Amino acid sequence: MKKQVARLTCLGLLLLVSSCRSNSSDTNAPIEITLSGWQSNPNESKLLTKVINEFEIKNPNIKVKREVINSQYMDVIRTRLIGEVAPDVFYLEAFEAPTLMKSGVLEPLDGYIKPDYDIKDFEPSLINAFKRDGKLYAIPKDFSTLALFYNTTAFQNANLKQPPETWAELTQFAKRLTVDTNRDGKPDRYGMGVAPELPRQLFMIKAFGGTLVDQQNYASFASPNGVKGLQLVIDQYRRDRTVAQPSDVGANSNSEAFGQGKVAMAIEGAWAIPYLKDTFPDLKFATAEVPTINGKKGTMAFTVGYGMNRQSKHKDAAWKLIEFLTSKQGMKSWATEGLALPSRKSVAAALRYDRNPLYAPLAAGAKYATIWQSGETLPTVMTSFDNQFVSALLGQQPLKDAMQKAQDTANREIYLSN
Amino acid sequence: MLKSKFFNRRNVREALSGYLFMTPTIVVLGVFLALPVLYAIVLAFHKVNLLGDVSYRFTGLKNFVRMQDDERVWIALQNTVQYVAIVVPIQTLLALGLALTLNTKIRGRSWFRVAFFLPTVTSSAVLTLIFMWIYNSNGLLNSVLSFFSLPTYNWLGDPEVALKGIMIMNVWATAPLFMVIYLAALQDIPESLYEAAAIDGATTWEKFWHITLPFLRPVTFFVIVMGLIGTFQLFDQSYIFSNGSGGPNNATLTIVLLIYQYAFKNLDMGYALALTLMLAFVIMTATLVQRQFFGEESLD
Repeated sequence: MKKQVARLTCLGLLLLVSSCRSNSSDTNAPIEITLSGWQSNPNESKLLTKVINEFEIKNPNIKVKREVINSQYMDVIRTRLIGEVAPDVFYLEAFEAPTLMKSGVLEPLDGYIKPDYDIKDFEPSLINAFKRDGKLYAIPKDFSTLALFYNTTAFQNANLKQPPETWAELTQFAKRLTVDTNRDGKPDRYGMGVAPELPRQLFMIKAFGGTLVDQQNYASFASPNGVKGLQLVIDQYRRDRTVAQPSDVGANSNSEAFGQGKVAMAIEGAWAIPYLKDTFPDLKFATAEVPTINGKKGTMAFTVGYGMNRQSKHKDAAWKLIEFLTSKQGMKSWATEGLALPSRKSVAAALRYDRNPLYAPLAAGAKYATIWQSGETLPTVMTSFDNQFVSALLGQQPLKDAMQKAQDTANREIYLSN
Repeated sequence: MLKSKFFNRRNVREALSGYLFMTPTIVVLGVFLALPVLYAIVLAFHKVNLLGDVSYRFTGLKNFVRMQDDERVWIALQNTVQYVAIVVPIQTLLALGLALTLNTKIRGRSWFRVAFFLPTVTSSAVLTLIFMWIYNSNGLLNSVLSFFSLPTYNWLGDPEVALKGIMIMNVWATAPLFMVIYLAALQDIPESLYEAAAIDGATTWEKFWHITLPFLRPVTFFVIVMGLIGTFQLFDQSYIFSNGSGGPNNATLTIVLLIYQYAFKNLDMGYALALTLMLAFVIMTATLVQRQFFGEESLD
């Protein structure tokens, strides 16, 4: 027994010594760079691992360490940036980009881009989301717009043959799709699900010419034109009682409520398609472009980019990884999952997303979508909006007053924080 | 005489070796407790920029003046005070009631003690998730309510009841901890007092009112102060409940959640720390009021 302990100790010491040596003397040791992001589903993760393996085979002296942060992603990244322990490459949501671009923690990427990378192939609006003062700070990895998802079984039962094309039509359809089978006065299925959050409602503000913020980045959504679009949603919820929030029907999200058949329509993004197919295989649904409001098409677009940490010790290696992941080949091999649409026009065309009946409405939206982004004040504006919009939705106060209050609160906070 | 004793070499040596023994604790506490507290107090008077180019700008009392105009601070304070005012008395009374029940010789009381204590040793994150299932619109609570033809609520989405939901959950989770403390204190009351009272012809109620309660007074003080501090610092439940937003319509916004939002969402550390100082001040005041109320002599 004693002998064994001695032997184990020796072995441990040996390992310790040898590992120390390999760290200090071997200059050809592979560099390790960290890539942080979130993970929406296991398949996505598998595909990304595959692409990273390809990258490591091509660049044997670079090792990529993947790190998945699923909860409060941006809070974690911001805190790590402050503590100077941030990853070399990380996912960056367009909505959070302005703060980081302004504070100078991101490495400008213009100097790294070579002509054969073909940056012009990207959707220009997506590239612009990560630009500040003419410098590019992140490369968009993919994007998604919002489209109208509708339950085809429910449509058939209600004798509706086509998805609504205008918001007025949608309001009518929602009435016909709301059913109360057990007659307890509470519908068992609502016409539509509503997510009372600014990212999902911003295009309603813009429908009648309202704006979210003014030139100085102060909130301005409470203008009569801004309120007019939002009022449509409030009317459906309060007057018609044909739409429901996820929590009204006991679901965690709009897409879950849609999948469970508790709402017949929902305005969702590409990420909902793999989710619905995996979680609710029996659900029959189709997608259409978001109905026109005020005779105009409108929707939201969400994009995520790869950003590089300015403090990174291996910037060239980090760029090589970004370059590979967003190259035509790299993007193609990982955009097949369908969680989002590829940001390169050539890849989108090659994968035929515009021909796929489920994805075509989402792809079409790219032309007229509002990108979910605004200045550094957006987090403040959003918190304030979300808070008051719900209260208007629940009928605690008229929408106009609620929005005015939200705008005033946001602007006071913006003013005081400057 | 006294002076010479004080400077006695032996005494100095004794004191030195005493401090030497305490050094590890002093260093650890100093680095991880005293320094951060001092740093927090200093930073509360600055505008701090941590992201990118780190900079501190002295702003005097600006952070504290800003609080007065910040509507959300008042809402958060109101919510928190309402929460404290309802939760602390209920959980204290419940804990006392449970302890008194379990102190009698009922059958299977060790089993009851374990069952009652379980919620306290469960992680609050897990509890919150379980309760979110119970509070779901189609969940257990609404099913029970509708079975008895009582009104049902959207517990998670309705601002009117969201905070009450958290209150129920917290009372349920923390009362048992205080129950155990009461239970321990009840064992300390000498049986002879009850016997003497019985001989004098005291009723059960009189025994409780004149013997049990006065004996439990220091423990009650402890329980209430701990309850106050714990409830004033409510964070995780309302965070998970509202996904960090404090909604619906600020109904679950608490001071600590607001501090979190300013510190980590808006990266406004100076203001967040000013709010922290304010909260510390509020808790201290509440504790001092309690102390006045219970009287100092009961402490020993």
